[in-house]
Amino acid sequence: MSRSRKDPRTERATHRVEGSIRPRFDLAAAPAATGRPRRDRRAEERLALVPGTVRRRLDRTQRVAAVGALPAPTTPAVETPPRLRTIPEPACLVAVVPDAPGGRLTPHDRQLFGAARLLADANGGAVLALVESWSDELAIAGADRVLPIPASGYDPEAKALALLSVLDGLAVRHVLFPESADGGDLARRLAALSGEALFAGAESLSAKAVTRAAQGRRIEQRRAPPRLISLATDAVAPHAGTLHEALPVEFAFPEPTAGAILSAEYIPADPAKVSLAEADFVTSAGNGVTDFEVFRALVAALGATPGASRMVCDAGLMPRAAQVGASGTVLEARCYFALGIAGAPQHLQGVARCEHVVAVNTDLHAAMIERAGLAIVADAQEVMPALLRLIAEEKRG
Amino acid sequence: MRIAVLLSAGRHRVSAHPAPVPVELQAIRLAAELGGEAFGLHAGPAIGPLHDTLGHGLPRLTHLRLAENDDPAPSLADALREGAFDLVLAGRSGQGGEDAGLLPYALARTLGLPIVADAVALAEGPQPGTLRVEQALPRGARRRLVIRLPALVTVHPAAPAPLPFAFAAARRGDVETRPGIAAACAPSEMEERPYRPRPKLIAKAAGGASAAERLKAATESASGGGKLLVEPTPDNAARAILAHLREIGVLA
Repeated sequence: MSRSRKDPRTERATHRVEGSIRPRFDLAAAPAATGRPRRDRRAEERLALVPGTVRRRLDRTQRVAAVGALPAPTTPAVETPPRLRTIPEPACLVAVVPDAPGGRLTPHDRQLFGAARLLADANGGAVLALVESWSDELAIAGADRVLPIPASGYDPEAKALALLSVLDGLAVRHVLFPESADGGDLARRLAALSGEALFAGAESLSAKAVTRAAQGRRIEQRRAPPRLISLATDAVAPHAGTLHEALPVEFAFPEPTAGAILSAEYIPADPAKVSLAEADFVTSAGNGVTDFEVFRALVAALGATPGASRMVCDAGLMPRAAQVGASGTVLEARCYFALGIAGAPQHLQGVARCEHVVAVNTDLHAAMIERAGLAIVADAQEVMPALLRLIAEEKRG
Repeated sequence: MRIAVLLSAGRHRVSAHPAPVPVELQAIRLAAELGGEAFGLHAGPAIGPLHDTLGHGLPRLTHLRLAENDDPAPSLADALREGAFDLVLAGRSGQGGEDAGLLPYALARTLGLPIVADAVALAEGPQPGTLRVEQALPRGARRRLVIRLPALVTVHPAAPAPLPFAFAAARRGDVETRPGIAAACAPSEMEERPYRPRPKLIAKAAGGASAAERLKAATESASGGGKLLVEPTPDNAARAILAHLREIGVLA
């Protein structure tokens, strides 16, 4: 036996309460560390006990500070502002053409700036953002210079011609595009106009090499970063740490000419028809929902795409195509509204990329309640008609 | 209306056997439903499985014979110029080759045609000589464009599924083979190796954050520390939900 033997006398002596003539022992107190490699499960449980609940509840992750636990040493939290980095004399420019729908950068656009910073820092250059309008997000994203591109309506050919003049007029070493619907289109137009090779859909990027998949993802192509690169999503981390100047740059663009597009009209997605993977707002039913007529009416009233948990799809109450989770669809939605779903790990995987989660469930300790930004401990069957009533009232006036 | 559909030598997504590219079969359907004469156009060493496209609603196919590793762009540009087509349809990108989707743009540039990407539906325009194109955008949104013909339009995979294969139509279809223009490909600087999937970014915290912050971002929920209402009345719950949905901007 390698374990040292227990010495009951010294163990008892550690529990002795000093300050009285008669020997007193407090056996309930957690003894100080004796150096013995044994865990005191009762003391650990006392520390993990969450105070103030009627039901006995243990929080072993220790996210809630337990009573009796030592208070953490209080250090005043100092919010240090990010350091401003200026590049007065850049050796070259790395241009970024973000999608920025409505003037706001998407996560993909931020990753693009991260990639541009990587290339610019390796060459002593500066990042030039080619956007439709200046915004203060650009300085945080990592743009040193900002050049507003004249744009009116949807005319990608005119935008590509404007970019071509920038490519010729300024010392631009690389131009980065997002490999999205509009960004990818613009990159290919510029490649055809300028005659430069486009590295389409780069999946990894460093200052020395970029790679992309080809031949149906059987071959990886690799080369030194060329002038035009379009970057796949989630390939490079967004820039963080330093703040940049985002100085406006002057540039004389050529006069745009009328293109072949006579009219363009944006049609928002129809939530009832859109597939779950592309949906923006998903309302999902779980085992806590029994009245599916009311659920469907609520989904239509909210303008959401219907989803369901595995339990509901297995029972045949919703189509299999509506299943959310690891064995169903992994959502990319902005908001997920879970009705009567406890949140199995497989289901939460499907919701992992959703920005906002709203949950209604009867169990306070359900994983979905913990995940949600707004959690309501109530019966979904009673909340659904109340929501429908409220929406109808608001519509009436 | 004379419509050309560009067909590329694809490979099957899973088995890697030579096969037509699905998005080009969808382009054939769009051409068939728009009406008018549809012509298939392929430039390459052999026609191979592209014979099947005749069974998916294409009446005739022109094969421009090229040597192995020749550039198809000059042959296609020449055939398109000669054919005087009103509309040229192509897939968004090939499958089994370079897969960059650059050829339609290069052709449009050579022919001086306007190009519109990612069509999912085509219809006659309001005036003669115009075309109404529905363009696929992310998250299921669409953009409806009216363009002047002639034009080159690429098709998105969200377009309607290809027409079912009909054996008799494939037998009936007409294949014309003629020599293309020999043009060597530009030498490539690419180094090629077997594909290796790379890990995608998952951590929300960026590189500048401390290790503890990155661990927290990876393990904790995105919107941790949210609002919790325990046993509210259904009406209060409904009000809270609607207010929250309005606040995050998903509900008007």
